[in-house]
Amino acid sequence: MTFKNLKFWIRTALVFLFRSGRSTVTLSLMVVMAVAVLIFLSALAVGINDTMIRNSVGLYSGHIYGVFLPQSLDTQRLKIHGVVSVLKRISIPGILSNGNTIETLTMVGVDPAAELKTTAIWKKTVSGKFLKNGDNMLFLSQDLADKLKVQPGDTVRFSSGLNKNQIQFIVSGIYKTGIDYLDRGIAFCPFEILPVQKHTWEAAVFIREGVEPESIISEYRTLVSGSASFRSWKEMMPDLVQLIDLNYISMGVVTVLVFGVVSLGIACAFVIFILKNLREYGIMKAMGATPQEIGCLIVVEVILMNLAALSIGVLIGVVLVFIASHSGINLTYFTSHNRYFVVSGVVFPRLTFFSLCLPPMLALFFSLASAVWPAAIVTRKKAADILRSF
Amino acid sequence: MIRIQGISKEYRSGRGRVQAITDVSFTIENNNTVAVFGKSGSGKTTLLNCLGGIEQPEKGKITCFGVEIHSLSEKALCLFQRRNIGFVFQHGNLLSYLTVYQNIAFPLALNNFDKKAISNRVNELLEKIGLAETGPALPHELSGGEVQRVSVARAMAHTPQMLLADEPTASLDTDTGRDLVQLMFSIGREHGCTMVIATHDPEVINLADASLPLRDGRIEKEDR
Repeated sequence: MTFKNLKFWIRTALVFLFRSGRSTVTLSLMVVMAVAVLIFLSALAVGINDTMIRNSVGLYSGHIYGVFLPQSLDTQRLKIHGVVSVLKRISIPGILSNGNTIETLTMVGVDPAAELKTTAIWKKTVSGKFLKNGDNMLFLSQDLADKLKVQPGDTVRFSSGLNKNQIQFIVSGIYKTGIDYLDRGIAFCPFEILPVQKHTWEAAVFIREGVEPESIISEYRTLVSGSASFRSWKEMMPDLVQLIDLNYISMGVVTVLVFGVVSLGIACAFVIFILKNLREYGIMKAMGATPQEIGCLIVVEVILMNLAALSIGVLIGVVLVFIASHSGINLTYFTSHNRYFVVSGVVFPRLTFFSLCLPPMLALFFSLASAVWPAAIVTRKKAADILRSF
Repeated sequence: MIRIQGISKEYRSGRGRVQAITDVSFTIENNNTVAVFGKSGSGKTTLLNCLGGIEQPEKGKITCFGVEIHSLSEKALCLFQRRNIGFVFQHGNLLSYLTVYQNIAFPLALNNFDKKAISNRVNELLEKIGLAETGPALPHELSGGEVQRVSVARAMAHTPQMLLADEPTASLDTDTGRDLVQLMFSIGREHGCTMVIATHDPEVINLADASLPLRDGRIEKEDR
């Protein structure tokens, strides 16, 4: 088949599609809806994953957590390209007592102003308030407060394993995150009030969306030597990584299944569409059109119809995602007991290359596959048999 | 020359095996017109289909202008049909999604004529069939007689060597039928086309150079 010939069949296919407008629109609608819905669902899945990551890292730990950082290292040096903020923390083990009740804990010295700005742990305050720089106060977990039987405003005593002197703190606020390692045996106080000076510090590093934590860590390794080590959120929360992978896999399976079912519907509709035009194909064959040319005509019809439907479906899907990504979808009712949604249950759907491209590519593939059956029926049937049946 | 040698064709249908034509042989000289006539079910359409290559006989040979069409490959047969054969069907069988212009242009495009040649030829034929203004019309907007005239124009557009017409006047009234026959003969003879026309119409039989009576799939008498 020559290029001139192909142009002729493309023109003929366009005329066929245009003149059988209602059938074309009905068939296209299935593809439009499937593509639009799946683009939106894929973007929603990405948005759910984003929210889980944002909640998990934004609550306290950051995307990267560094430990055993030397005092000579400044937070500014860790603010390399792709890093949004670096929070300094100093942890010391100790004992907290209220009268005769004592509890072991890790006291974390923080910069309250920076924590307020970057993390969300203050949002989990159940009573009292968060810390202020320079105040001799503690912000402790509800579990610890319950065991020590203290409330905001009460006084507790702290002694570190390194320093036997007891220091008096006032309870500023009590929090509950729902995450075990934050809710058990941890209390926060401003740096400057920490009774013990350590030679090392810890860093919670928050990076820009889309930047891979591994690339930042590899740069840090060239910056910081010695016993310092960095772990990404993926290493700290392997369960979350699995959950995200599971989410993508289940979304992929749903996409393929939806298109499997839709393509069966499309195949049946195509058969009706093609059989409706069977007489036309029979006349063309009688005039000397080859089976390859008739097959080409049918495939071109399917491709043209799908390209139009895919474009509209992608457009509708993108508009839906755009609207939802601005307003957000509040899923708090379904996520309030889930630790990956401790900060917020509002999901912002986000388009990625795959969420945008996979549904239309699958639609085109399945539509072409579903056109094989009707095309085979027409190309194998003889012109005389077709014309005799009308 | 068209030579048919002992062709037979049978169908399988709900009524079992039906012998459509049996051992039919005849020869048509170039530029001649043959009227094939006989009762319904006598095998006229099957004979035309075999001649046009859209049906394969089980037995026999068909040689059209030196080409044994029964032994051609599927693709070669299609190419032979599009270049050498024009079909006029009983009910016109125009492509319903294409306009009158596009219908007449279809065989020309199939034969890779360029756009200008197609336009000239289609307009010339539209003038000739008296439908110069109906180029943009769709087939369903035409009367039965107009459909058949367009069908003749389409069949003759690429100046085929052979025109096969299957009861072209069957669905028309007498006057319209007569006009169509005259149009067909005028265009066919102008191009030196060999014509085989299946018909019940005595006028067509009279105008033809020869007639071929069929009965129960066999030739009753050969008249050349």
